[in-house]
Amino acid sequence: MLTAELAIDLKEHPIMITLQDTISGSGFLARITLSGRALMRQEDDGKWWMYGVRPAGIAASGSNIDEAFLRFRARYKETLFDIAQEGQTFEDYANEVERFFNEGDSDNEDERLWEAALTAIRSGSCQPPTPFANLPRRSPESYPSFIKIERVDAEAKDKRLMPSENVADTYAYSVPKAA
Amino acid sequence: MSASAPFADIKRMLDNCAPGHSIRLATHSRVVTYSNKVYRTLPKFDKIELGHIRKMVRYLGISVQCADSYGVI
Repeated sequence: MLTAELAIDLKEHPIMITLQDTISGSGFLARITLSGRALMRQEDDGKWWMYGVRPAGIAASGSNIDEAFLRFRARYKETLFDIAQEGQTFEDYANEVERFFNEGDSDNEDERLWEAALTAIRSGSCQPPTPFANLPRRSPESYPSFIKIERVDAEAKDKRLMPSENVADTYAYSVPKAA
Repeated sequence: MSASAPFADIKRMLDNCAPGHSIRLATHSRVVTYSNKVYRTLPKFDKIELGHIRKMVRYLGISVQCADSYGVI
């Protein structure tokens, strides 16, 4: 079955993403920090696609992997804006953003492909190709997926704002578990 | 130019493959609801790249065979 694993690895690439946004809602300010998963694939038309795994309900394309990530990132932020437009309380907003993050594909296909790609890389049968050569490497075990939604306006209770809480936008290639 | 499909064809596919779905316009995207799931990121363009449609089909649990018969994935 090495051939099948190799075929999966060459086509699918397991990506880990980290994003942080501050979103104005109806009477609140929310800070949203995400550690997520996405699958990158070069489709038959030559474009690179980034398909969300967590959050699953999002996709974006680009002529290279950086462009695909930047468009994915922009679409994610726009989705946070759209949810904020629905005129909810902070609690409603947080619940809907969590739903967007946690709800998977109905068939979980992209999540299975993500896991299969990681397994193929960990088997040592092949290496990430050239477009991913300069991406940071991260272990999924060290960076579990999560979403954190915090109220950070004047109404927030017991919330001290610290520069150490700032998170840069990144995307990284998943790597083998450390020995 | 990436492969794409007119929104009218996507709507026709949804009418037949996702009965009971609804589509509303948010500020940045089309929001498609079907079978208690909400797909929030369908672009508002007249022509939509097939990757977006493939993702929506997987996410909402629409029959791939049905969607494929409309030539939009």
